[in-house]
Amino acid sequence: MDKLIDDEMLVTQFKSGSQKAFDELMKRYERKIFGYLLRSVRNYEDAEELTLEVFFKAYRALASWQPKAKFSTWLYTIASNLAIDYHRSKARKPVYMLEDEDVIEARVVATDISSNPEKQLEEKERGRIIREAVDELSSKQKAVFMLTRYEGLQIKEVAETLGMAEGTVKIHLHRATKKLQTLLRPLWENNEI
Amino acid sequence: MPKCNKSEAQAIDYVYGELDASQVVDFEHHLSTCDNCTRNVNAYKHVLHLVDEAEAELTPHIIAPRNLEAKLYRRLAEVPPVKPTLHSRLSDFATGLLLTLREQKVVSFCLFIFAVISIAFFVGNPFRPAPTIDMSQIDSADARIEQYRHQDIQRSMEDVLRNKHLRNSDGWDTVSQLNRVKDQAQGTNWANIAKKHLKNVHSEL
Ligand SMILES: [Zn+2]
Repeated sequence: MDKLIDDEMLVTQFKSGSQKAFDELMKRYERKIFGYLLRSVRNYEDAEELTLEVFFKAYRALASWQPKAKFSTWLYTIASNLAIDYHRSKARKPVYMLEDEDVIEARVVATDISSNPEKQLEEKERGRIIREAVDELSSKQKAVFMLTRYEGLQIKEVAETLGMAEGTVKIHLHRATKKLQTLLRPLWENNEI
Repeated sequence: MPKCNKSEAQAIDYVYGELDASQVVDFEHHLSTCDNCTRNVNAYKHVLHLVDEAEAELTPHIIAPRNLEAKLYRRLAEVPPVKPTLHSRLSDFATGLLLTLREQKVVSFCLFIFAVISIAFFVGNPFRPAPTIDMSQIDSADARIEQYRHQDIQRSMEDVLRNKHLRNSDGWDTVSQLNRVKDQAQGTNWANIAKKHLKNVHSEL
């Protein structure tokens, strides 16, 4: 389907009965939404399940959806609400499904093959600690942080997505950043900045 | 050294690029004279750098979930379809009109106005509701699932051929992959295509 057709046009086509229009919308956003949810819940199976839930809800609600914001913003809203519910209902430690070998392998490819494996292990451990610090943020702080930092949304769009005032988004972002700084300080107090 | 009159929030906004151009100039001027703010800015930049690195480790694992379409349509087939409300129909009509105007400009506008007037005149109902999204009316759910199954098989077949040609897979690997596709494709034309490829590969072995 034509890439030049914008999302809103596809939504209109879907509303007049075109299933293909929805397939195209899904193709455009499934990876992004999955990535957002994976960073949010840190578990592949749950992220996949939630991605399906996002598009299921979108499909069911699209017929009566009124475009007050961009379609993508609306998808992020559904995803964020599901992620927040997920954290609320599970209230559990994230399960890291990443295979350690995968991470090491990716690093070996990306970095000097001759670099020593102990250092790689140290770095892998550091990555895990840092992601755990991110998971210590409240679900709203984390949503704000992820949407701004990794989904490329402007403060205004994050505000629309999460149904908050822009000022509130900024407060969450400030608190998230300060909390991360406090949690991660021990990591760099041993090393020079 | 002048007394610091900047808040930590400003340092964070600066790091996120959320200050406007004149505020940036002002804040950078302040940074050149304030050790405290410089230290804060460096610390925040460093924190974000660390988190970016850790999150980047996930990026290679972020691939679209497999068979999402098939799973979605299977799930949708299990629930009754949603009927749009009158309000949403009217709004859709307005949205459709706006989008059409934007795409096709003047000609379509004139045609559209003409059409609306004619319909209003002869039929009296220009706001004909958009068709309900009902799987049975468009395509049956089963047909959708079958269609996605075909796409899935096609994707598997493409994978096999890609592996064979681009990655120079071992002939026996290709045979076992083709056998899997053949099983997956039972009852479709793809099964015959897989058989044909199998025959070719066997003759090359
Ligand atoms: Zn200062």
